[in-house]
Amino acid sequence: MNSLAPSRVWMMRAAFTLLILIILFFHLLPLQTAPGGIIWPNLILAFSLSWSVRRPQYVPTVLLACMFFLADFLLQRPPGLWAMLALVACEHVKSQARSLRDASITTEIAFILAWIVGISISYRIILAILYVEVPPVGPALLQIVATVAAYPFVIVVTHAFMGVRKATPNDTGTRGS
Amino acid sequence: MDYGGPLRRLIFAVLVLSLFGFFLLWRIDNPRVERFRAQVTNKVVPNMEWAMAPVTGFINVVRDFQSYQRIADQNTELRRELRQMQVWKEAALQLEQENARLLDLNNVQLDSRLTYITGVVLADSGSPFRQSVLLNIGAHDGIVEGWATMDGIGLVGRISGVAKNTARVILATDASSRIPAIIQPSGQTAIVAGDNSAAPPIDFLENPDLVRPGDRVVSSGDGGVFPAGLLIGQITADPGGRLRVRLSADYERLKFLRVLRHYGAEPVSDTANILSPVPSAILHNEAIK
Repeated sequence: MNSLAPSRVWMMRAAFTLLILIILFFHLLPLQTAPGGIIWPNLILAFSLSWSVRRPQYVPTVLLACMFFLADFLLQRPPGLWAMLALVACEHVKSQARSLRDASITTEIAFILAWIVGISISYRIILAILYVEVPPVGPALLQIVATVAAYPFVIVVTHAFMGVRKATPNDTGTRGS
Repeated sequence: MDYGGPLRRLIFAVLVLSLFGFFLLWRIDNPRVERFRAQVTNKVVPNMEWAMAPVTGFINVVRDFQSYQRIADQNTELRRELRQMQVWKEAALQLEQENARLLDLNNVQLDSRLTYITGVVLADSGSPFRQSVLLNIGAHDGIVEGWATMDGIGLVGRISGVAKNTARVILATDASSRIPAIIQPSGQTAIVAGDNSAAPPIDFLENPDLVRPGDRVVSSGDGGVFPAGLLIGQITADPGGRLRVRLSADYERLKFLRVLRHYGAEPVSDTANILSPVPSAILHNEAIK
C-alpha cells in the first residue's frame, strides 16, 4: 500500500474532510426555509463513492463513518442508519476498486447506480420495519435521480479539479523517496 | 496489499455494528439521543456562523438583484397596496380604540407574562424532508422546549430541541407538526397538520361547511402548549377541495424569530376531582427540571 507518500495521503484525507464539511455548510445555510424548493443531490454520498472508486486509501473507513455520522446528526436524519448503509456501500466499492480501475466509466456509473438505489431502498425498508416516519416517496425518488444524475459531474470534478484519479501502473512504485 | 486484512475487516464490522446500534438506541430512547443531537449541533453550527452570515447575505443579494430588474412594476404595485393599507390602518385604529374602551369597561387583565425573546436563524434543516430552523438562543437564554415561535406576524413553529446556545424550531410546515387551532369567525376547532408543503392542511374539522376560504386561523391554546390567539394564517382550498392554511408568517425569509415565553396555565392544586394532570403542568415541571 506504499504507493504514495504518506504526507500526500494525509493531505488528501484532510481535503476530503474539508470537502464534506463544505457540503454540510451549504446544506445548513438558512436559504431554504419554505418547503418545496429544489431538491439537491446527495453530494456527500456521491463524492464519497467517487473517491472510494478512485483512491480507497484517501477515504479510510473510520473517516467515512465519522463524516456520515456527523451528516446524519446535522441534517436531522435518524442518526446511524444512513451512515451505516453509506459506509457499507463505500466499503464494497473500495473492495471492488481494483476491478473498477480498468472498467469503463459506464460500468462504474451502473455499479454506483445499483448501490445508491440499493441503499436508498434498504433505508426506507428498515425505517418502515421499525415504525419510524419514512420520508415522502416523491422527493426521495427525486433525490435518488438527482444523485445519480449528478454522479458523472462529481466524477469530473473529482478527477479534474481535485486530482483524485484512478491509480495507474506508474503509481505502484514508491514516490517521494 | 494488506487492504482486505483482518484488522480492517474488524474495524469495518465494529463501525457498522456501532452505527446500527446507535440507530437502535435512537429508536428506543429518542429524547436522550435527540438531546445529544442538539448538543452536537450546538458545538458544530455556531462555529460556522462567521462564514454562514456573509455567504447567506451574498446569495440573497444575488437573488434580490433579479427582482431589482422589475423595480418599476414593484413600485406601482407597492403604491397600490399602500393605499389599501391606509384604509386598513384607519380601520385598525378605530378598532383599537374601541377595543381599549371595551377592555376598560370590562376591567380585563391582560397576561403580562406573555413576553418574547428574539433570536436569529442560524441554519435550516439542510434536508428537503425536514422543515426546521436553528436559532442562536438556547437554554442559556431561558428557552424552554415547546414554546411558540413567531415572526412579526404569524406563528412559525415550536421549539423542539434546546441546547446551551442554540434551539431548534420545528416549523408548522414540518410533517411532524400538529397545532391545535380555532377558525374564526365560525369558532370551529381543528388541527393544522404540517405535511412538508407550503400550505399545511386542516385536520379534525367537525363541520367543513361552516368554514370558508379567507377565514382566519388562530391557535386555540388547547393542550396548553401554545398560548391561545396567535395568528397562524388564512383558510384556502386547494384544487382538490381540501382545506389548507395559507400561513401568515413569511417562510421564504425567516431571519428574526420571536420565541414567546409561556409558562402554561397555572395547574390546579386541588387534584381530588381531576382525572389526569394538565399537559401544560407536565411541561411546566419539565421546564423546572
